Amino acid sequence: MELALETPALLRAVPAPEPPADASDAELLVLVAERDRQAFELLYHRYVRSMFGLALRRLRDRQRAEDAVQETFTAVWRSAASYRPERGPAAPWLYAVARNAIVDRMRAKVEPAAEAPELASSEPGPADRAESSYVSWRVHRALEELPEREREVLELAYWSEMSQSEVAEYLHIPLGTVKTRTRSALSRLAVILEGEVE
Amino acid sequence: MTRPPDFEDLVDADFEPAERERLRRVHDLLVAAGPPPELTPEFEAGPTLAMTLGRSSRRRVQRRGALLAAAVVVLLLAFLAGYIAGNGGNNGLANGRLLKLKGTKAAPAALASLRLQPVDASGNWPMRLSVRGLPKLPPKSYYEVFLVRDGEIYAPCGTFVVKSADSTVSVQLNAPYRLRQGDSWVVTKQQPGVRKAGTAVLKPISA
Repeated sequence: MELALETPALLRAVPAPEPPADASDAELLVLVAERDRQAFELLYHRYVRSMFGLALRRLRDRQRAEDAVQETFTAVWRSAASYRPERGPAAPWLYAVARNAIVDRMRAKVEPAAEAPELASSEPGPADRAESSYVSWRVHRALEELPEREREVLELAYWSEMSQSEVAEYLHIPLGTVKTRTRSALSRLAVILEGEVE
Repeated sequence: MTRPPDFEDLVDADFEPAERERLRRVHDLLVAAGPPPELTPEFEAGPTLAMTLGRSSRRRVQRRGALLAAAVVVLLLAFLAGYIAGNGGNNGLANGRLLKLKGTKAAPAALASLRLQPVDASGNWPMRLSVRGLPKLPPKSYYEVFLVRDGEIYAPCGTFVVKSADSTVSVQLNAPYRLRQGDSWVVTKQQPGVRKAGTAVLKPISA
């Protein structure tokens, strides 16, 4: 005998549980496919910087890069159901979605016809550019996973041209703590970027 | 381009060679990747599903609306030009406008209000900023107020420091720019010697 029980209204009204902050990107994408807004927002914060970096490098225009990122997230929301976790991790899938949005933006740009250059360009070719873009994408995404205090010491050392002593003075912490956090941050990144550093 | 740090300065020599090599590869990747891009406060706060999806679905409606609006604008411009010329040119931005700001993740306990004062005859827009909950910064670091236009940092409006997160700071600032409707402000944390806008610590509540 089958019972047709209707879910009580009270239960239906209970909001979906928040996705855990340590959920993998693949788990978040699966939730996004089920129209989970919180999962979408988590994914946004994890990837917005690396997507924007990728778009900015290719489009060289902040406004168009922001548009490309918006379009990427629109596409993620709409097509998350096409992601299959068993086929691989989420990062390359997201990268492909972002790259497509950026290519669409590049095609949309109307450029005047240029004369053919007489000398071969010294700039990296498409394959090199794609590889370096993917590395930046992975590194910037990995940085988002570091604890704030570890990310901070790396950013100050790598992109603010501060020595370890200056970082210590700036953050009001002992030099030994700066070194410990730096080492811990690099080790953590090595784990996150396993494929790239092995 | 910034000068990358020396790996030998970052990591002591007491590592196993294999681990040291592994960390060096991470170091090389960080150098190759370069700094992550700066995001506007609004973009960083994102996403908001409504913002992301609403944008594309609204686009068609916006296109049609834009044509209609263009026609109306042309008619209004002539009138507006005369009106502005006869009224001191305050660009429709209300004197006494009060903007409330809240702390970002970088300063979650911070709150502020920024009140625009009447524009003077020379075109300066004085404003008073009252802040509470911002932490004291290391020596030589300071907070800076930036005018935000079209979602981008547009121009600086003044700097200040705070003694402690418990005290309220009230400072007089000025925007020597022609303000527009929709202009907004953010407060950033500035490192000594870095002129570029730093991490946003306060942004408008409505953003």
